[in-house]
Amino acid sequence: MARFLSNPKVLAVVLVVGVLFLVGLLGGALGDSLFGTGFLKSPVAHIQLPSEHLFTDPFISLGPPGQGSFFITNSMLATWVTILVLISVALLVRRRLSLVPRGLQNLVEVIFEAFLGLVESVAGAEKGRRFFPLVITIFLFIVTANWLGILPGFGTVGRLETADYIIEETRHRIEEKGEKEHKTIAVIEHEIEAELKRLKLQVYDGSGSVSFMPLGTGTKEITAYEYEEMKGKGDLEGRRVGLLVPFLRSANTDLNSPLSIALIAMFMVEFWGIKALGFFGYGRKFINIGSLLRGKPFGIIDAFVGTLEGVSEFARLISFTFRLFGNIFAGEVLLVAMGFLIPLVGIAPFFGLELFVGFIQAFIFAMLTLVFAVMATAVHESGEH
Amino acid sequence: MEGLGINLPGLITQIISFLVLFGVLYALLYKPVLRIMDQRSQKIREGLESAERARQEAVRSQEEMQKKMDEARAEGQALVAEARGIAERFKEEELTKARQEIVGERDRARANIQRERDVAIEELRQEFAGLAVSAAERVIERSLDKEAHRDLIEKALQESSELKRK
Repeated sequence: MARFLSNPKVLAVVLVVGVLFLVGLLGGALGDSLFGTGFLKSPVAHIQLPSEHLFTDPFISLGPPGQGSFFITNSMLATWVTILVLISVALLVRRRLSLVPRGLQNLVEVIFEAFLGLVESVAGAEKGRRFFPLVITIFLFIVTANWLGILPGFGTVGRLETADYIIEETRHRIEEKGEKEHKTIAVIEHEIEAELKRLKLQVYDGSGSVSFMPLGTGTKEITAYEYEEMKGKGDLEGRRVGLLVPFLRSANTDLNSPLSIALIAMFMVEFWGIKALGFFGYGRKFINIGSLLRGKPFGIIDAFVGTLEGVSEFARLISFTFRLFGNIFAGEVLLVAMGFLIPLVGIAPFFGLELFVGFIQAFIFAMLTLVFAVMATAVHESGEH
Repeated sequence: MEGLGINLPGLITQIISFLVLFGVLYALLYKPVLRIMDQRSQKIREGLESAERARQEAVRSQEEMQKKMDEARAEGQALVAEARGIAERFKEEELTKARQEIVGERDRARANIQRERDVAIEELRQEFAGLAVSAAERVIERSLDKEAHRDLIEKALQESSELKRK
C-alpha cells in the first residue's frame, strides 16, 4: 500500500479524491446537520411517480381539458434518445459491415455471440433463432435506457414550472374533485389551503430566460402557501419560485415504459405458444376441464391448476413491470438522496451500483422473456397420468 | 393508475416506440450481422475442411511418390542385375571363343611345325644320304664291292627312318 502510494500520480489522485470527499461531506446536507456548514447544499429534488410534462400544453388534445390529452413527457424524450442512440450504432455498424470485423462491429458481434449462445443453449438452435431478436432488443433497449439515465443532465436540467401555474393546477384539480363529490365551497377551500401548505416549492435565482439554483440554498424551500403570502406582500425581490421539470428522465422510471415492454414480451410469448401448440392446444393450459367433463372427479385439480396458470400469466406482467421500474426508480432516488447528503464524489460508488443494477435488470428482463417463451412453446403431456 | 403515472397515451407511445426500435434494429442490425456471422463460420468451416483435405492429399501423394520411387529403384536394380548377367555371359562366351581360337591356333602351329620338321628331316636325310654316299664313296672306294655297298646304304636308311619316326 505504501509503495503504491509513493507513485506521485496515484498519490495526487488519492489526495484530490480525498479532499473532494471532505468538501462534499462538509458542504452537503450531512455536514450541514453535523457542523452547520452547508455551503454546497441544495434541496432534495422534487420526486414524483408520474413523469413530468415537457410542455405545459398538451401535444394533442382529445375531449375536454385534462382528459384524454396527450402530453409529451420527459421520459418519452429519454426513450426516443435511447432509440436514436441504438439506431445510430446500428447504422454505423451496417455501413461498414464486413466479413472481417472491425471496430464497433467487433463489439456488436461479441454481444450478439454471447446472447445467441445463451438463447440457443436455453431454447435450442431453431427456437433460439426465433426468440433472439425480441430478447436482444429488450436487453439492448433497457440497458441503454438505464445507462443513459444516469448521465449528467438527466433530472437536473429542465424548465421551470412556475409556482402560479402549479398552484392554479392544484386548485383546479381539488375543485373538480370536490364538485364531483358534492362538497361545499368552504370544505373545498379548506382542502385547497391544506394542500398548498403541504406543497413545497423551490426558490431559484436567475436572469432572463435562465434560472438556476445557487449553491447552499438548501433552506430556501418554501411551501406554496408561504409563496402566496410573500407574493401578496411583494417580498419576492425578483426571485423565481417553482419546480424543476427536467427535460430528460430515465425512461424506465416511468411505469409506461416497463409496462409497454412487458406487454409486448407477454404478447409475443402467448403468440409463440399458440403458434407452437395450436389455439386449443395452448388454451388447454388455462382452461383444463377435459378430465372433469369425462367424469373424473380429480379433474377438478387440473381445472384449478389451469386457473392458476392464467393468474400467473397476469402476475408475470406485473412482476416484469414493477421489478424493472422499482429498481431503476429506487436507483434514481438513491442518487438524488446521496447527492443531497454528500455532493461531489460521495455519489460516485452509487453510480457504479446503478451501472450494475441497470445491466442486471435488462438481463433479467430479457432472460425471463426467453424462459417464458421456451415454457410456452414446450409441448406438454395431455394431463393423463 | 393515474397516481402511478400509467396512462393510455403514454403506454401507446412507448409501445409504438419500442416496436419501431425493434423493426429498425431487426432490419439494420440483426439480420445482416447474423448473416455475416453465419457466413463467416461457414467460411471457416470450409477452410478447415479444405485444409484437412489438402493435408490428406499431400500425405497420399507422398505415399504414392514413395511407392513409385521404390518401384523405380527395384526396376533399376533388376536392370542392373540383368545387364550384369548379360555381361557375364558375354564375357564367358568371348573367353571360350578366345580359348578355342588359341587352341586352334596352337594346333595349327604345332601341325605346321611338324610338317616343317618332317620336311626338314626329309631334306636332311636326303642331303645326309647323299653326303654319306659321297663320303662313303670317297672313304671306302675300293674296299667295298657292290654287294656290301648296297647293305650299308640300306642300313643307313633304316636308321634315318627310325630317326624320323622318333
